[in-house]
Amino acid sequence: MPELGDHLAAQRAQQAQEVRAAYEAMIRELAERDFEDEILPVGARFPDAVLPSAEGGLVALAELRASGPLIVTFFRGEWCPYCRLTLDALAAAQPGFEAAGAHLVAITPETGGLALEARRKHHARFEILSDVDCGLGLACGVIFRTPEVYRSLLLRFGTDLAKRHGNDAWFLPIPCTFVVDAAGVVRWRFASLDFTTRAEPDDVMAALAALRTT
Amino acid sequence: MEVSQVRYFLALCHTLNFTRAAEICNVSQPALSRAIQRLEAELGGALIYRERNLTQLTDLGRTMRPHLEAMVVAAEAAQAVARSRHTEEHALLRIGLGPAVSSARIASAIGSVTRRNAHLIVQFDEGSTASLAEAMLADRLDCALVPDQTDLPERLHRWPLYGENCMVVLPAEHRLAAKAVIAVDDLVGETLLIGDRCGDFAERLILACGEKLNGQRFGGSWPQMLDLVTAKVGLALLPEGLVAGRALAFRPLAEPDLGRTIVIAMVAGRPQSDAVLNFVKLCRAASFA
Repeated sequence: MPELGDHLAAQRAQQAQEVRAAYEAMIRELAERDFEDEILPVGARFPDAVLPSAEGGLVALAELRASGPLIVTFFRGEWCPYCRLTLDALAAAQPGFEAAGAHLVAITPETGGLALEARRKHHARFEILSDVDCGLGLACGVIFRTPEVYRSLLLRFGTDLAKRHGNDAWFLPIPCTFVVDAAGVVRWRFASLDFTTRAEPDDVMAALAALRTT
Repeated sequence: MEVSQVRYFLALCHTLNFTRAAEICNVSQPALSRAIQRLEAELGGALIYRERNLTQLTDLGRTMRPHLEAMVVAAEAAQAVARSRHTEEHALLRIGLGPAVSSARIASAIGSVTRRNAHLIVQFDEGSTASLAEAMLADRLDCALVPDQTDLPERLHRWPLYGENCMVVLPAEHRLAAKAVIAVDDLVGETLLIGDRCGDFAERLILACGEKLNGQRFGGSWPQMLDLVTAKVGLALLPEGLVAGRALAFRPLAEPDLGRTIVIAMVAGRPQSDAVLNFVKLCRAASFA
């Protein structure tokens, strides 16, 4: 089975020159600011947030992790082709996560029913939670403001984050995946400033296996 | 972006003084200045004018402030759940409902909040948009669903939830009930009920279409309006989505477009209970389509 990384690389190869330039500039800027230093590290306590689920319930992360390891992954939204590929890969990997006794939740800043739309489109059995106003993302240090150039590019392609997020702050999370143990401690982390690279489901599985042996 | 940077910036917004902001945040002034500089790099420009005797927010600072306030409230809620679960035994969720805004659309969000807090007392309060805004500012209400209006006080944050069309409400056996869509000219010769707490759909129609329509005024809200239509006192103009459960027909009005957007509003920067914050988040995350 091809890995998520292969699908993402294929998507990257199709990218228009203009889009590539805008996103490379954005990543460079984040790297120059030492953005990675702000991201919640391994060994830190993961916030016990309560967030709205796609179906309109409230999901408490503390309750999920009490019964097994918790995988928390931040994604930008269904408008992003790399997120779409990632959601498909996670949906395919979900039986493996379940067999390992783990819960997976995917977190997005999107509001207005868009989490439910994403869940249906990708046949996701895992929860997709709306991080309204990016509070959990801020507590995890994964939020940045999209630069002007990238913002106008998104608008030109019909992606209005102000509308989708229910605020015009234009904040987005960087792609990040955390594995949290029953005590609420981050035991494994994937973080990338480059939104075209994501945690490989196999690597998450390996992290879950390592958690069992320690 | 880090929670502490945002907190320092908000303290600075409040004090407009680096020394006092540093005292409030319990950090040294150089540490506060460095954090603000980092935040400025993050947000892509200066947030503060630093002049000798004057510290002021820049345009970017003013634009970002409400977003950062909302964000830090959400982040603090995420970090404080374990603590507040024990302190919220007698929490209230006081929801204002504007003219002809029904609680039906938010009922499931309320259910999600009460499932997490069996002690929560939910309270509804109906009123005009102005009186609900005043009640929120006076801390007699936590939040309200109201039609979007430009004259809402600036201290209220507001987020659009859903749009709704104007419907003509008539007895199911009325001759116009056979039509799929009703035009203004169909209403000539009919009596239009004008309720003082029913949204101002009828007033706006009469204003737009002049004297060819007859209005009948009364004081009351939409359930009484529906009773009067059932008793054939007249026809009503109300938003779609009201639950009637009687022998009534709802037909869209063709023109003019009297549709409105319903927003959820709450006072900016006031500490709120988890129940209130979760309720507002649920409403914003949901699809009302």
